[in-house]
Order: sequence, then C-alpha cells, then structure tokens
Amino acid sequence: MQDRLLPYWLLIPAFIIVLATTIYPLAHSFVTSFRAWDLTTSRRPEGFVGFDNYIYAASESAFLNSLWVTFVFVITSVALTVVLAMALALLLRRKGPMHTFTRIILILPFAMSPALIGVSYRFMFNPEFGVLANGLGAVFPSLQGVPWLADPQLAMGILVLTDVWHWTPYMTFMCLGGLASIPKETEEAARIDGASNLRIIFGIILPQMRGVILVMAVLKTIFALKMFDQVVTLTGGGPGTSTETLAYFIFNVGFRWFDMGYASALAWILTLIMMFISIWYVRMLLSERKMATA
Amino acid sequence: MKRQLAYVGERALLVLISIVVLFPIAWMFLTAFKQPRDAYSLSLWFEPTLQNFITVFSHPWNLGSMVLNSVIVSTVTVAIAVPCATLAAYSFSRFRVRARKFLFFLILSTQFIPAVVIVLPFFLMFRQLDLLDTRIALIIVNLAIVTPFVIWMIKGFIDAIPQDSEEAAMIDGASRLRVIKDIVLPMAAPGIMTSSIFCFILTWNEFLFALILSRREAVTLPVGLVNFRTERGDLWELMSAAGVMITVPIFIMALFIQKHFTRGMTAGAVK
Repeated sequence: MQDRLLPYWLLIPAFIIVLATTIYPLAHSFVTSFRAWDLTTSRRPEGFVGFDNYIYAASESAFLNSLWVTFVFVITSVALTVVLAMALALLLRRKGPMHTFTRIILILPFAMSPALIGVSYRFMFNPEFGVLANGLGAVFPSLQGVPWLADPQLAMGILVLTDVWHWTPYMTFMCLGGLASIPKETEEAARIDGASNLRIIFGIILPQMRGVILVMAVLKTIFALKMFDQVVTLTGGGPGTSTETLAYFIFNVGFRWFDMGYASALAWILTLIMMFISIWYVRMLLSERKMATA
Repeated sequence: MKRQLAYVGERALLVLISIVVLFPIAWMFLTAFKQPRDAYSLSLWFEPTLQNFITVFSHPWNLGSMVLNSVIVSTVTVAIAVPCATLAAYSFSRFRVRARKFLFFLILSTQFIPAVVIVLPFFLMFRQLDLLDTRIALIIVNLAIVTPFVIWMIKGFIDAIPQDSEEAAMIDGASRLRVIKDIVLPMAAPGIMTSSIFCFILTWNEFLFALILSRREAVTLPVGLVNFRTERGDLWELMSAAGVMITVPIFIMALFIQKHFTRGMTAGAVK
C-alpha cells in the first residue's frame, strides 16, 4: 500500500514548488490582466474591465514598437546564432589540442551573467575610451568617432552581437552533440569517392542535422523573445525606444508606470506568443520523428 | 600544398575564435586592475593595482553585502530545489505514475513562461506580505526558474543508470527508500552535482527578479552592477572589479564540470 503511493509522495515536494511559484502566479496575472489596476492610485485592484487592456495594446504605438523591435531582434539573433554554431561545430568536431582548448573556453561566455555581458559591451563600445570603438576606428578610418550606442541601428546591432556572443557557444555544444550521433559511414564513403568538403557538409551532414537545427532555432527563438538583462545594462531600451524589446516594455509598464492590469495583459500576450511557438515546435518535432522512423 | 594551407587556415580560424571569445572577458579583468586614468586611456601597459577591489568593498558600494546576498540566495535555492527535484526525477524516471505525461509536460512547459510574467504577481504578493527586498523573496522566485530545469536534468542522469542493482537489492528485501538512498544517490551523485552547479549558476546570474524585488538590503551582484552608473558617469574600473567578483566563482565551477557540460546543457536544453 505504502509502496504504491510512494511514486506520488516523491513528486509532492517538487509539485508544491511548481504550483506555488509558477501556476499560481500565472493564474494571478491572468485575472489581473482583465482588471484596471494603477498601483500609484490604488493599493487594491479596481474592478474588471474585460478585454480593455488587450484592446488598448493593439492600438498603442509603444507596444507595437516593442513588438517590432522584438521581431527584428529575434530574427537576426536566431539566424546568426544558428548558422555560426553550426559552422563552429563543424570546425570543432575534429580532435586536436587546439580544438579541445577552443571547446573549453567556449564554456566561458555561456557561464557569464548576461547583465555583465551588457555592461562589458557598453564599456567596449564607448566612443571616447571604449577599446572596440577606438580599435575599429584605428583599423577602419571611416569608423572613427561613430556613436555606436547612440545610433538606433548600431545599438540594435550591438545588442544582437552580445546575444550571439552569449548563446553561440551553447548552441555549438548542441550541434556537436548532434554531429556525434550521426553515423560516420556515409561520410567516409563519400570521401573515398572524392566528394569535396562542401558537398559532404551540404549533401550529407546538414540534411541529417535537420532535427537538431530545428530544436536549436526554436529554443533560441524562445530565449530571444524573453531577452531582458542586456537591454537594461547595454542600451536601456534606447536610443529613444529603438531597442525596447517586449520584455523590457512590460517591465517599464509594470514597474515605472505601475499599471499592473496593462502589464499583466502584455505579459500574457508574450506568454501566448511563446506557447504558440512551443506548440508549433513540438508538432514539427513529432512529424520530424515520424519521417525518421518511416 | 593545398592541404597545408587548409591546415594553417583551420588553426588560424581557431585562434581567431578564441580571441573573439576571450577578449571581452580579458579586457574586463585587465580593467579591474587598472587605475582610473589607465582605464580611460586604453593603455595596455599599466601599473596593476588592487585599489578598485578595496573601493568596491568599502562604503558606499559595499559589495561585500551583495556577495553575501548572492551566496545565500544561490545556496539556499540549490539546497531546496535539488533534493525536491531529485525525488521527483526518480519518480518520473522509474514509475509509471498516472498522468505522468501530463505532469511532466506541465513541469516542462513552465520553462517556456517568460520570467516577467511571474514577477508581476510576486511583486504584488510580496508587497502585501512585506517581503519586498528580502532574500526570502528572491529564493522563492528563483525556485520557479530552477526547479523544473533541475528535474529535467537529473531525470536525464537517473535514466542513464541501469536498474539491475536496484532490482537485486529489492529482491533481497530492501525498501524503495533504502534503494534510493544507498544505490541511486551514490550512482547519480556526479549528475546531481553537475545539476546543482548549473542551478547555482542560473541563480547567481539571475537579474530580472533581483532588479524588481530588491532595493537596498537584498541586492545581488548582477543588480549591484547598475549602481556603478552615477551622475558622474559610469565608473568602469569599479564595474569591472565587481564583474570579476561575479565571474570568477562561476568560471571555476563551469570549468570544474566542463566534461559534463555538454551533456548537462543539452539535457536542460529547454531553459
């Protein structure tokens, strides 16, 4: 009797944590998203307003701007990270002391605090005494005195750069894992037949990596959608609102303007976007698996 | 000739990658040991000093209290999350629990929820309970991020352990709990250790929760970085010194679990 219930007892502590720290807050913010609640004027929620918060979002330019900023950020950082990680993994899969060394130091960016990464890049791109701003200016005279973080496009570029620098190592390890699980025979046979490296990569390796690349792309999309830390420490959303991502915008609405109802609605819009992508991703994976077994 | 060129090219590429990875970190470390005038002059030759570290640990920066906050929050989070997660992971790994798929999916799906969604209600609750700006608040919220991740990771490690010795022990009359304590835990220890370090790193680097839920008392190291932006401008040499304090313990841990890193990262790929 006791043994039959044991599996459930083992689950209980973890479930209490998940319920209390995730499910309950989610439900709470869902309810709040249908309320008017301005913390600066009222300590208690002020009553239900139906879908007003959501409808307001659809017409507010600051929100639509953050949606666009997030979209641009996600597309560029995902594309760059996935392509670079794949290339790095193809380079690093060989054995050799230098390969091993590079693999080991690749762990460092991922272990680093994203807030600190933002700070470091801000320092290096400071136009007066930043080492990268000055270094680039010295090598390419046309880049001298470029106001890196004061220009909307360049600031977005640097934000993407920090994110790619942070995540490419992780994704490279995922690729290396995928490469290790591909059977070597076809590749060796092709090599004996005299196929070029490029043909082997594009004709044999990449098609077999489709599943891994798909997983990477979707995971990276989800991480990029939530991206927050570097926005605070690198650009502060600026110049203007040019790097104000959705997560940062929600933070502003909630903790600068203290509009809890609206912030909750925006948070749920972000959650729904992420759920939609996750479901789509699980379905793609399932069909991928079906294709593999067929 | 062509082959030699490819060989040299590949090595050159590896060196270039290493530089791109190491340079921002190295520059921060160098800056941390520079006097202000060197930090702002881009000089590579400078007289190293420990003054920045002394400054950040004294008034008004008081990095020491932030180090303490970070250590306490991360350690307690690990100490709560890892044992609970280990039990749950064992259950998921070994038993056909009813609605197992649903429960497991529920736990995994919480990882897709943006942190900013969770922090709004917690901010309101903690304000009500007078828990804002306390370490307890940060520990509670960090558990939300870390627990599902660790269950997922440790399950991967337990799945990899063969079940024969467990079954043999139970035929000899050992209870499940005994089996878990005497057989599974020792065998899973390296995996649990790796997961704990991952969990520690996640909490240690956590920024959003700490930024919103702490003001003065419970500020952790990553949030402390923001303090070095003053009206007089950003104090880069002090920021760098604080950055070194954030980074060194984490780098040591990361290199320590380096061998398991790939596996752990792909196992916990959802986070």
